[in-house]
Amino acid sequence: MPKKQTILLIVILVLAISSLLALYFLYNPATNTFFPKCVFYTTTNLYCPGCGSQRAIHNILKGNILNGIRHNILIVLLFLVLTYKAILFILKLLLKKEYNNLLNNPIVTKSILVFVLAYWILRNISSYPFTLLAP
Amino acid sequence: MEQKPERPKNYLALAIISTIACCMPLGIVSIIYSTKVDTAYNDGNYALAESSSKKAKNWGIASMVAIGVILILYVIIMLIAVAAGAIDA
Repeated sequence: MPKKQTILLIVILVLAISSLLALYFLYNPATNTFFPKCVFYTTTNLYCPGCGSQRAIHNILKGNILNGIRHNILIVLLFLVLTYKAILFILKLLLKKEYNNLLNNPIVTKSILVFVLAYWILRNISSYPFTLLAP
Repeated sequence: MEQKPERPKNYLALAIISTIACCMPLGIVSIIYSTKVDTAYNDGNYALAESSSKKAKNWGIASMVAIGVILILYVIIMLIAVAAGAIDA
């Protein structure tokens, strides 16, 4: 029986993700008031590592990839991680062979943590080179 | 020799998603536990690896749930505002 539940969960996830993507494709979060604002930003007036991700998704879906990445670089990180996981998964299915997963390497995971924390701090500095990182 | 248990999942993708989805303190905690999983596993500390894996997963899920609750509250408030005529829908 767990199989049936898994399929249902996947169907719900696919529906939810595709309707979210459609919403972000059709409406611009920068100009529409009904998109939620970042809770961290509204309470502290500081950017969080996720700030700008809605605008980034909107721009990337519209084809303005570079413009979108400028709003939030972590989207690229997420894309790389998910693609890497997908490739490993497909390789495992096709070749029935376990590969060394780079994401299980402590150096890689720690670098990702340091990268996210550094991004969080640097994007809040309001002088020139760092203002490029702000959403 | 002691048999090595299976490497626990580190839920790194879930942790990154929960960080980007803007509930950041919870997402960062999830990434921290995620990094501890493999460090502990490689050191042979399997119990710590296992518990860190669970914590990474729980903090990631907590972050998602928090965002879900905030979104639902937000939609309700927006609907009330629209109904009251405060915002043009």
